[in-house]
Amino acid sequence: MTAHAHIGQRARSKEAPRHVSGRGRYVDDLVLPRMLHACILRSPYAHARIASVRLSPAVVAGNLQVSGSSVRAVITPEDIKRLSRPFKPGRYAAGLRVPISEYAGAIDKVRYVGEPVAVVVADTRAAAEDALELIEVDYEPLPAVASTGAAVSPDAPLIYEELGSNVAWAGHVAYGDVDDAFRRADRIVRENLKIHRYSSTPLEPFACLVEHTPERLTIWCNSQSPDVIYDALTEALGIENVRVIVPDIGGGFGQKIHLIRKYAVLTALMAVKTGRPVKWIEDRSEHMMAGGHSCEQEFDVEAAVQSDGEVLGLRIVDTDDVGGSISTLTIHFTNKLNNLFNTYKVQHLRLEGRSVLTNKCPVVPNRGIGKPGMCFVWERMMDRIAQELALDPIAVRRRNLIAADQFPYTTPNGNIHGSGDYQTLLDRVLANVGYEEFRKRQSQSRVGRASPKPSGEGGSGSPGEPDRVRPTGERLLGIGVVIGVEPGGRNAARDMAIFPQSKQMPGAGGVEGATVKLEKNGSVVFRLGSPSCGQSHETTAAQIIADVLGITPERISMAGTFDSSLSPWGVSSSNSGNNFHLYDVGAVHGAATRVRDKVLTLAAHVLKTERSVLHIEEGVVVGRVPKPASPQPLAAEAGGPAVETVTFAELGKIAYANQALLPPGMEGGLEATYYHSHPHADPLMLPDMQGRVRAQYTFSSAAHAAVVEVDSETGRVRVLRYVIVSDNGTLINPSVVDGQIYGSAAHGISVALGEGFVYGDDGQLLTLTLLDYGKSTTLETPAIEIEHFPVPDPFTTLGQKAAGEGAAIPSPAAIASAVEDALSPFGVKVRHLPLSPERVWQLIRDGKSAER
Amino acid sequence: VTRLPIAVTVNGEPCEGDVEPRTLLVQFLREHLGLTGTHVGCVVGECGACSVLVDGALVKSCLMLAVQAHDREVTTIEGLAKDGALHPVQEAFVNAFALQCGFCTPGFVMAAHALLERNPNPTEEEIRHDLSSNLCMCTGYVQIIEAVEQAAGRRRS
Repeated sequence: MTAHAHIGQRARSKEAPRHVSGRGRYVDDLVLPRMLHACILRSPYAHARIASVRLSPAVVAGNLQVSGSSVRAVITPEDIKRLSRPFKPGRYAAGLRVPISEYAGAIDKVRYVGEPVAVVVADTRAAAEDALELIEVDYEPLPAVASTGAAVSPDAPLIYEELGSNVAWAGHVAYGDVDDAFRRADRIVRENLKIHRYSSTPLEPFACLVEHTPERLTIWCNSQSPDVIYDALTEALGIENVRVIVPDIGGGFGQKIHLIRKYAVLTALMAVKTGRPVKWIEDRSEHMMAGGHSCEQEFDVEAAVQSDGEVLGLRIVDTDDVGGSISTLTIHFTNKLNNLFNTYKVQHLRLEGRSVLTNKCPVVPNRGIGKPGMCFVWERMMDRIAQELALDPIAVRRRNLIAADQFPYTTPNGNIHGSGDYQTLLDRVLANVGYEEFRKRQSQSRVGRASPKPSGEGGSGSPGEPDRVRPTGERLLGIGVVIGVEPGGRNAARDMAIFPQSKQMPGAGGVEGATVKLEKNGSVVFRLGSPSCGQSHETTAAQIIADVLGITPERISMAGTFDSSLSPWGVSSSNSGNNFHLYDVGAVHGAATRVRDKVLTLAAHVLKTERSVLHIEEGVVVGRVPKPASPQPLAAEAGGPAVETVTFAELGKIAYANQALLPPGMEGGLEATYYHSHPHADPLMLPDMQGRVRAQYTFSSAAHAAVVEVDSETGRVRVLRYVIVSDNGTLINPSVVDGQIYGSAAHGISVALGEGFVYGDDGQLLTLTLLDYGKSTTLETPAIEIEHFPVPDPFTTLGQKAAGEGAAIPSPAAIASAVEDALSPFGVKVRHLPLSPERVWQLIRDGKSAER
Repeated sequence: VTRLPIAVTVNGEPCEGDVEPRTLLVQFLREHLGLTGTHVGCVVGECGACSVLVDGALVKSCLMLAVQAHDREVTTIEGLAKDGALHPVQEAFVNAFALQCGFCTPGFVMAAHALLERNPNPTEEEIRHDLSSNLCMCTGYVQIIEAVEQAAGRRRS
């Protein structure tokens, strides 16, 4: 293929025109004839036994009128148990000691506030909501467990009695010779770190619409991973003919992968029971309490270090608060395998994990899953090591980075970083943020506040040399510089690294399809195997097809969103795990290449020439005739006027309607489907005896610099500048990549500064609205500055790497680092997120009182 | 159940309906009139996805009852484009890649439109202040603010 005309351009968005004009099509926008509306009765208790469920006689008789509408059906826990089967334990429940059946709704016990208990359908949503009051549930409340500390205490109430403990899984991975590293170390640096519960709170909550006809069960669902819904409906209902349609999705971020299957099953049960289409739309509070949270993670970390800042090894004990379900037990642990060594060449590491059940919302993937936690561990430790050794924190990072000439680099746990230049990312981010000038300004601002003596070198505020300056003013400046990777492209066998004894392989590598079709009129349509949650798949795929086929993106369109009956999809067909760039891009490129091949074969026949002299210009196949050899060969051969070009439209008409002009034996049509797997999936697609496995296949990377200002009176943190230098490999559409980076950075910053879920000791969720939850608006979110520093991946189709959740991975660590730097005059250490004003104020207070 | 007749001018067209007193304006728009461009993200006035104009003023249509819109003029996202051509604010959102999943977008476009009608040349700070009524979970707002700045520039030119 020649130089790219469209790949790499900021091509106009294909999705945006429909969305800006209100013509997006989401599940709640769909209406079917005789459609009913469902509403779910949820547990008000964090932990309780369900003693009995009673329905009013009118409900049982089936002739209940509420609010002028008929209540059509109700299902109770007993019905759910009778009418459906439990989900099969997935890869994240493989570590359970005893099998546990999990149904779509609570059966005999509720384990978190908001757990679904019963479902009502009525003619209107309002009537269904009103009718919830007619279901009487007798609960026997049990003591609730609202923290991992409480959950592991010997007398803690058991969330699943059959497990005998609230520690549902414990295990470890270890690479290198960790004990030896600790023996050799000059010093051991220890720290306790915590990252809290949060979510990406997609603006569109869960939504399902189900129609059951004699032929099949059709669900319209805003699932990111239709394969999860597809399998769940078959498992739970025993229906094989399932069709999953995913229209526009109002944001995903991982939230819409796992728990949504419960609601797909419940809605489907109602559609089967009533024989009518049933729609269920989750409301905001339901989503906040039961839609899934990212896991609260606590890390006890020890680093074995040399005096010059070299890190020999790490020991980490990771305690994950997985909430009240066993379905995603190890998801936050195994995802740490993806960035286990971050950007560092450290060779020895042991990660021990415990998944602890609590009476809180189950945990789900969320913009990075365990990866923000893993990056937080590395980057907090780098700062801490620098402080304890009285070294510069940037220098300590540089001492340990994988060098540019080491790529492709294999980490001790088997990940292969194809390309990168981590030192340069740091160079660029320091230059762009004006690091040296900032340090001078910071130092002056501290001196300027009636300092009795000059501040320490570079103003790094190391506790070894405590800065005595006490700002009497309000504003404390700080800077944090961190680095991280954004892994992309799933290997389904990853989780076997912690379940080597598992007989059932959950899959391996990945498969994804795409179809490209040149239509009769010369335009092009395509279908992808994965849904989009706003990552501009249509725009990006069209740019690739445009370059491969030689046609403008304006003549290319996507033939509808995901439909399991029509879309070519593999099990990687998921809007998750940063799969698009590897699998969909490969599939689209492969399908377009096959169509190009057919186009050239047909054109060569039509033009009566060799394929080798053909090229394509904007939808026209042109026969380039070597001049010196023969001035007018075509005209001479044809004995008439030269036909040296043929348009796609002309070829389309032949391919679909004119068999006489097809080359002998050529299949009609100009359509191709291609299923892409990563051609470089080996080595280590499957785990070896040391538990080494490719967790993901590509590694984008980025350095982040945050400049913050902390108000010493209120504890409020303002982000003054946020600068990113990012390597996402070959950029297909830089504006799309920019958007992914802006959004994920903004989320990580908001997480660090206070958004999050808060539970009372009784397991009641106290943050049921977006306001209480503390989502950042345009006022708190800083302007974010991006420089692209792409280093193409040597192993992917176009040199591309992932671009999605990436900036949410290092950003919490960047903010923590910057706030700690700002508070260094008080000797404050930032260990726990979020850095809400309350916590920062407390840190300042504690720092001040420690001084007295 | 009581139902009340209402008459509302929506995007310039007279519309009538019988609604329960508790019916929200957003439900009337979406369910009675099929104007599904107005979205529901929270139903408590925090996210702004349901923003519309009522007599020219920006309103969260989940915080207003349908009966309160009786005899008033409502403009929804479907009412901005004229003769198939996108409104300049819509065009700016497209050009600036100011959206990802699109769910918050109609609300942001309406909020930006209302701002520019009132203040054709807002500073970045004014844009940030005004648009803090709306939440976006995808974009980090950067390209949304750029879009409003672009739209303002187009108005000036």
